[in-house]
Amino acid sequence: MHIIVCIKQIIDPEVPFHLFRIDPVAKRQVQGTHPLVISTYDEVAVEVALQLKEKVGGRVTVLTLGRKEAIQALHQALAMGADDAVLLSDLSFEETDSFGKARVLAAAIRKIGAFDMVLCGRQAGDVEFGLVGPFLAGELGIPCVPLAANFEPVDSTLRIRRPVETGYEILEAPLPILATITNDTSNVPRYASVRGLRAAMRIPVPTWSAADLGISPSDLAEPVRIEIDELFIPQREMRCEIIGGESGAEKARNLVARLKALGLIG
Amino acid sequence: MAHILTFCAANGAEIPRHPLELLAAARALSAQWGGGQVHTLCLGPSAGSYGEELIHRGADEVLTVECPSVEGEVALAAVESAVQHLSPPVVLLPHDDLGGAYVGPSLAYRLGAGIATDCVGFDVRGEEVRWLRPVYGGKAMAYLRVRGPVQLATMRSRAFDPLPADPTRRGEVREFPMDWERVRPQIRIVERLEEKREEELPLDRAEIIVSGGRGMGSTEGFAVLRELAQVLGAAVGGSRPAADLGWVPHSHLVGQTGKIVAPNLYIAVGISGAAQHITGAGSSRTIVAINKDPDAPIFKLAHIGVVEEWEKVIPALIEACKELRSSSPG
Ligand SMILES: Cc1cc2nc3c(=O)[nH]c(=O)nc-3n(C[C@H](O)[C@H](O)[C@H](O)COP(=O)(O)OP(=O)(O)OC[C@H]3O[C@@H](n4cnc5c(N)ncnc54)[C@H](O)[C@@H]3O)c2cc1C
Ligand SMILES: Nc1ncnc2c1ncn2[C@@H]1O[C@H](COP(=O)(O)O)[C@@H](O)[C@H]1O
Repeated sequence: MHIIVCIKQIIDPEVPFHLFRIDPVAKRQVQGTHPLVISTYDEVAVEVALQLKEKVGGRVTVLTLGRKEAIQALHQALAMGADDAVLLSDLSFEETDSFGKARVLAAAIRKIGAFDMVLCGRQAGDVEFGLVGPFLAGELGIPCVPLAANFEPVDSTLRIRRPVETGYEILEAPLPILATITNDTSNVPRYASVRGLRAAMRIPVPTWSAADLGISPSDLAEPVRIEIDELFIPQREMRCEIIGGESGAEKARNLVARLKALGLIG
Repeated sequence: MAHILTFCAANGAEIPRHPLELLAAARALSAQWGGGQVHTLCLGPSAGSYGEELIHRGADEVLTVECPSVEGEVALAAVESAVQHLSPPVVLLPHDDLGGAYVGPSLAYRLGAGIATDCVGFDVRGEEVRWLRPVYGGKAMAYLRVRGPVQLATMRSRAFDPLPADPTRRGEVREFPMDWERVRPQIRIVERLEEKREEELPLDRAEIIVSGGRGMGSTEGFAVLRELAQVLGAAVGGSRPAADLGWVPHSHLVGQTGKIVAPNLYIAVGISGAAQHITGAGSSRTIVAINKDPDAPIFKLAHIGVVEEWEKVIPALIEACKELRSSSPG
């Protein structure tokens, strides 16, 4: 089985609110000293791919569209256990919208050749549109299974496990498919070991440009169908009232008194 | 006159809240545009029976499609047909597992249309709509412009309050003919596994929610939290690590990728206060945080805070609440 996973490199999404900065003109977050990481759900998707490979054998290829430094995300995925990686990098890729990104990824997947499954995160951990996955399924002309948690081979088919309100749904679909991956108790990402990372650095990672993919940059520039017009940080005038007390028990009693006074309990 | 199409999927006896919120959003948008009809495509086993209520809640016309259960590919085909039939400039879908994760993006691709997902509002300048949505886990907000043959938007739950039912409102309810021959689903549900449930009270019905995070430490820690919830008559929620560690079912995950809740009182215990979590509880009337770390970001987002290890607070809190309950009349 050949599984392709699309991963995006983002600025650490756990940066707390008070250290978070934006550039309102460029309309994006300012990196500052914050680390770059694999987008949360994409890391989960790598885990899901590796688990499936462990069950049925095969290969996992990771793809990212980004700047040169996005190779770190690929190295990390290789260290987790992915087999191959490709970096898609071109100035024209950066300004394109979700439609354009899906086109680039689809062109790269076609260039790679045969595959059985493409995995994306349910949404990127930064702007969180949740569009590239379904758009990519459209580009490749394959079904899109949203919000899958893992896969189980049964006879000659693949069962897809999807968490829903009441538990799980088990689905079947003919391969190839694209699935968007959501988190679950079964797919918490493994760590990349230091040894794994060292080995990963030796795996050659090709970089493909627009020309390599036969895409003309002007094709990606127009039309822009999804665009951030304005980015701002909402004002939060929040003053937290800290409940005092000599001990935990006293704090608890004071809290109850306060909540009762506010009419929230009792 | 500009038309707006909204979507309502209903499997049970009652219309869920989210499609009613979409109607409120559609009416607000239509008012800012200076008028325009609101059409609702209603899907479900007894879609026809919801028609009147949808009219009372803001629809001018309801198109009903009866189908045994509302699944992705069927919903997508129905919405696509309705869009072809009405050519509305705007389509509003719920930002949930069906609309936000599948129907909206897939339809956008098929139509080559711009889409704004997870929206909480909009502003209208002349003919143009700018869609407001949280980004970076809710640490920032963005206005999006989307272009194409139609503008699609998926709306976050709780962003709009349903309009009160107005029984004097009139409108048309009619069956929308679907060409089922053309719908060939490729994804099949072969089994449904019910999860064993410790959580009795669903999050969206609760006045009070007690929510735990990684700081609860273990399943046993979470059991103490459940006891507190019980004395308060509260629902139990959790952060993503709590859900991933199996301490609460994923259906009780609060946050951007879980439930968006708005109870009167939200008590967050052992939760650091990541924007992605708080954005799901941000419209709660009062947020109380209990965390041992005075520098935890949650103390910048909560109304009331207790800096302490939960082990030292929660048992006493349970006792104090029990006392309160036994002393208060009723
Ligand atoms: C795209 C995206 C979507 C996400 N969606 C969601 C979502 O929907 N919901 C969600 O919750 N998260 C979501 N997350 C994850 C989120 O960013 C945080 O990682 C998560 O909310 C942290 O959970 P936590 O507060 O339980 O754990 P931690 O951040 O590890 O915090 C644990 C807290 O417990 C405190 N603590 C430890 N021991 C004790 C004790 N004995 N007594 C009291 N306090 C103690 C610590 O001081 C700490 O503040 C998302 C992330 C991304 C990138
Ligand atoms: N630059 C990128 N490179 C590779 N994959 C991406 C990129 N952007 C988005 N994706 C994939 O598409 C998913 C959804 O992204 P988005 O539509 O931006 O929320 C992500 O979780 C990734 O799997």
